[in-house]
Amino acid sequence: MTTTIQYILSGLAIGGIYALVALGFHIMWSAARAVNFAHGDTLMLGAVLAVVGVDAEIPLPIACLLGIIAGAVFGVLLERFAIRPFTATSNSIGWMLTTIAVGVMIESLATLQFGGFSRPLASPGVKSAVHILGAGVYPQELAIPVFALLVMFGLKLMQRHTLVGRAMQAVAHDKRAAALMGINVNRIVAFSFALASLLGAAAGVLVAPVIQVSASMGALLGLKGFAVAIIGGITSAPGVVISGLCFGIMEKFVEGYISTAAREIIGFSVMILVLLAFPHGLFGKREVLKV
Amino acid sequence: MRYLAPVCFFIFAAILVAVPLTAGNEYELRLFMLFLIYGIIAVGLNVLVGLAGLVSLGQAGLFALGSYSGAILSTRLGFDIVGSCIGAAIISGLFGVLLAYPTVRVRGVYLAVVTIAFGIIVENVAIEWQSLTGGTTGLSSIPKPNILGIRLSGFAFYGVLAVTLFVFTLLIHNLKISRFGRTMLAVAQSETASRALGINSTGLRTLAFVISAVTAGIAGTFYSFLNSYISPDIFTFSDSVRFLLMVILGGAGSTFGPVIGAYLLTYLPEYLQQFQLWQKFAYGALLLVVMFALPRGIVGTLQWAFNRLRPPAPALAATEGLPVETTLRHEKKMLAAELVATALTVRFGGLSALSNASLRVKGGEIHALIGPNGAGKSTFVNTISGFYRPDEGRCELDGVELTGRRSLDIARLGLARTFQNTELFGEMSVLENVMAGYDQRLTYGLTQALLRTPKMRREERECRQTAIGLLAFVGLSQYANEEARFLPFGLQRRLEIARALAGRPRLLLLDEPAAGLTTQEIDDLEAMVRRIAALGVSILLIEHHVDLIMALADHVTVLDYGQVIASDNPTAIQDDPRVIEAYFGAPLDRAAAVGAGA
Amino acid sequence: MFLQTMVRSSVAVAAVLGFFSTAAHAEQEPCIGNSAATTGPAAFGGQSIKMGAEIAIDEINAKGGVLGKPLRFVQYDDAGAPPRGVDNTRRVALSDKCVAILGGYHSTVAVAQAEPVNEIGIPYVGVLAANTKAIENGKTPNFMFRVSAKDKWVARFLVEQALKSSKTGKIAFLYENTGWGNGALPDVKDAMSKVGKELVAAETFNWADQDMTPQIIRARDAGADLVLLWALDREGNQILRSMDKVGWKPPIIGAWGIAGNLGELAGPLANGVEVIQTYTFMGSMDPKKQAFWDKLKAKYGIKDPSEIKMGSGVANAYDAVYIIAKAIEKAGSYDWAKVREALYTVNYDGLVASYEPAFDAKDPERQDAILPKYYKLTVWTDGKLLPLEQTSYGKSN
Repeated sequence: MTTTIQYILSGLAIGGIYALVALGFHIMWSAARAVNFAHGDTLMLGAVLAVVGVDAEIPLPIACLLGIIAGAVFGVLLERFAIRPFTATSNSIGWMLTTIAVGVMIESLATLQFGGFSRPLASPGVKSAVHILGAGVYPQELAIPVFALLVMFGLKLMQRHTLVGRAMQAVAHDKRAAALMGINVNRIVAFSFALASLLGAAAGVLVAPVIQVSASMGALLGLKGFAVAIIGGITSAPGVVISGLCFGIMEKFVEGYISTAAREIIGFSVMILVLLAFPHGLFGKREVLKV
Repeated sequence: MRYLAPVCFFIFAAILVAVPLTAGNEYELRLFMLFLIYGIIAVGLNVLVGLAGLVSLGQAGLFALGSYSGAILSTRLGFDIVGSCIGAAIISGLFGVLLAYPTVRVRGVYLAVVTIAFGIIVENVAIEWQSLTGGTTGLSSIPKPNILGIRLSGFAFYGVLAVTLFVFTLLIHNLKISRFGRTMLAVAQSETASRALGINSTGLRTLAFVISAVTAGIAGTFYSFLNSYISPDIFTFSDSVRFLLMVILGGAGSTFGPVIGAYLLTYLPEYLQQFQLWQKFAYGALLLVVMFALPRGIVGTLQWAFNRLRPPAPALAATEGLPVETTLRHEKKMLAAELVATALTVRFGGLSALSNASLRVKGGEIHALIGPNGAGKSTFVNTISGFYRPDEGRCELDGVELTGRRSLDIARLGLARTFQNTELFGEMSVLENVMAGYDQRLTYGLTQALLRTPKMRREERECRQTAIGLLAFVGLSQYANEEARFLPFGLQRRLEIARALAGRPRLLLLDEPAAGLTTQEIDDLEAMVRRIAALGVSILLIEHHVDLIMALADHVTVLDYGQVIASDNPTAIQDDPRVIEAYFGAPLDRAAAVGAGA
Repeated sequence: MFLQTMVRSSVAVAAVLGFFSTAAHAEQEPCIGNSAATTGPAAFGGQSIKMGAEIAIDEINAKGGVLGKPLRFVQYDDAGAPPRGVDNTRRVALSDKCVAILGGYHSTVAVAQAEPVNEIGIPYVGVLAANTKAIENGKTPNFMFRVSAKDKWVARFLVEQALKSSKTGKIAFLYENTGWGNGALPDVKDAMSKVGKELVAAETFNWADQDMTPQIIRARDAGADLVLLWALDREGNQILRSMDKVGWKPPIIGAWGIAGNLGELAGPLANGVEVIQTYTFMGSMDPKKQAFWDKLKAKYGIKDPSEIKMGSGVANAYDAVYIIAKAIEKAGSYDWAKVREALYTVNYDGLVASYEPAFDAKDPERQDAILPKYYKLTVWTDGKLLPLEQTSYGKSN
């Protein structure tokens, strides 16, 4: 029993990160039908800059904030210079390669900064573990899935009640029509990337105290976040959050009852199978083929 | 230009011979052998990326499958290098088929993610399946390359690699300039149009995946023999990216581009080493530069620049072509094609786009289908040509059931169509567009394409001559070598008709062919439709232009709200009160207005 | 036609090539090569090898080099990737024509290098990677040597230490799912069975795993009261944190993967974690160590011993270079085979050990120079990895 709860709690923590990363993919995809393929590196960037800030003796909260803001700026620049040039033609996947390239460069810069080591980021959330029905977990870990859910609801509220939120939905629905209605599509896309990258960097800062900061921390998280987004249906915010949390829990049970190495095999196989059965994900909207 | 390919192949062979003779030491030769192996992967991947337009970011997974299969076959079962290669080719080929399956449902970034996932799964299976793969420790002591127990010297093994790369490059070049290369490009640019031309897009994609998998598998086996050690961390995601970059850097779709790309990216790490800590950064920067500065790749850019300097003559000698009267003629008994649609009903959600609609196109007649916007005309066309499934009802062509068949099978039965929004293969030349339409009439197979047998050459010649003749027929001879997307709109419509005719259809569906045309162009169209009908092709014309219909049609069917409200000869239709009401929502006394308009 | 011509000419080319045989080896030069990770997560490994080797070479050259010529050091980056390690090996041997090659940080690379090294016949001296099979590979003549720890002996040493600390004798083994960790598993099992015991749990984990609670729970529930650990710092930290969460704090003794910055990552949780080393700059220094340290400080601008993340690598590389240099002098030639023979006869009193002789041709286990008696235990104490005997942990034992 304790073991089961332990797996669920640990799974929720890691699942929360997947959910946040996947939410970023959802926002970017809705706006541009393209994503930053190296979104995991945005996460890394936020965490790395927070640590660099702390090294420079900036107080922890401000360092974290600076890391997150830098992440958002990075997202805007990336969209403008690495993605937009390639989304003009609908079938192009050039943006996949350019964003991978930027990811490689960012990672190598971070390696230059850190050498090969992981670095800790202090946080009151990992001082001591709390125990729930015998299972131990850091408060920080509990905060991650809660934050993911809050972001999801916040996003919904924003889409309902703010002008920019509604404009985002319009752009997601039909770019050309949105432009005809006087919406500055480029600005909305840039805003979406800023928001997605902000969330990504925030995820990085949030998870850093738990998993430590290193140049390579983002790569696999990013890939799994994308897998989760696809499983949940990249067009559905609640879909990606729910599947992110479930994916995290599933991983822990696979680790617990089968083996660690089986985790990747099973996780990615599940993704492929879901994609074959539901090409638009479990909760995604169907896009009708028009001849 | 005609001798460019043979000259390039000759130079390539000369380089392959010269390198071992000039290599300073074994290390240099080995590095070159590594390039040959990467070259084999890149050349195969080029079929997938450059021709079929599919992106694989899991090629390292197939490479790993080949490496492990080859290594296990040789260490456990004592296979020689030929046996191991064949075994590895079969195994990775099967996985190629498996990987092609998702393309039926997903494309683009989704497919890319599936291939990434595949690569990661293979890597982790190699880690996990310790009894077979040695786990993370990998497999060592793979025997030296040997054939039938005779050990190959370093230079002999070099010879095997060089010949393999050379032959693969040549075979894939042959594939590219055959029907397979042409239709792969077509499918990549418009799957819808391909299906309507009877091209088997799923089959072609599977073929592309299998070719790229088999080459990667063979390359993998060579790799394990060359290195005599393999472990899972050789086959990572970044290797997949590198293989893809080889193809793009060199020039996707070109014959020698992938080889050049493989060469550069094999030697690049040697030079990047001097950047020490910056080498990964430099690698990322290179990828970025390639995407921005050389999106066509090196060879592609050279070709483009060359074409800018000396553009090929746009026109072809019309004398090369064969007259359509001979190329499109059917056997007498096949002449009359009769299309019968009975009680078709198509629903989208709760909405009935067609309800109980019936229609009969008699052999050799020009039948017009008209109706106001949203009447269900396009749905009707898409249902007949197999793009939609009817919920009820059936249609037949000369008594052959069409309902339930795939659109490509319907096209092969002799039903060709054009599209309301033209669906050309934009980046192919005008001539190639028509040749793609001829594809269903070609009979030669893959082996014949790879070996360029006399039969293949003869059929290709006929295909080309027919296409040239068809271009003359629609008046596009002077644009034969232009890229289709650069044609003015009116000419694009004509090209679509020529392409649809190339398959020698017995029934032609024209979906609003006059939309967007000038008066002059409409007159030309009218004449053309008459000439097509004169060839013995039945025509179903979906149109708005009343003048055109009245001038052309033998019979008119009117749709409104998904139902057939009238079907008669043009004059009778003109006076039919229901038709007038459908169009104008007005009673009888307005009939005069329509009459005047006609 | 074209195809046929091409195929025919290709066959002819292949036939011509078949007549060539492998080119004769040219004379070797006074240089020592190295393939190690100088970029990527384990870049500190390559850095430490470079430091040790360069200091030794500077000293040797100051005294006139070997056989009258100055020694050179060539280092290539393999980033921890076996194929690049293999390529670098060939580059060092065939292109640079070095007289010997030093090993790197990664065991997978070392295992991969064994094949080309023995094929070419260039002496290889490992200075970090501890995988047993890389050196004990069953080949004769074996050109693979090592001046470093060997997992087989490390396992025995650690099991011995563990049984001293464990009350119940129930020991769990946690190891990373890599060539290094998996390679150590049979060694540890072996060492246990030698003392008539069995591991109660053997749990594995991957690089970059964020949470090890499942493994920890299984180890705890198996009744273990001590953990042997084959991990790197990052994963070592996750294990400590997962133990903290589960509320289980057994004593931990680890191989040297957690000798980097575990103290910084895990903070107080790392206190008391013991790590095996062959050498450390931490704690009080004797005059010999002090002199070596002064040279390092001067040459590389290091201020504090804790900046050297892999002290064992520095010292091992230093000793290895000296052993090679002495072997060259004894052989009287830069010839690979002769130097290999001479390696078995070198006696040298080094930083890490007193090598008498360095290797033993009669004992396949003695391709390794550093005997277990020279292994040292260090312990994490408030962020510093100190020699065990100089801490309160050592005294209480």
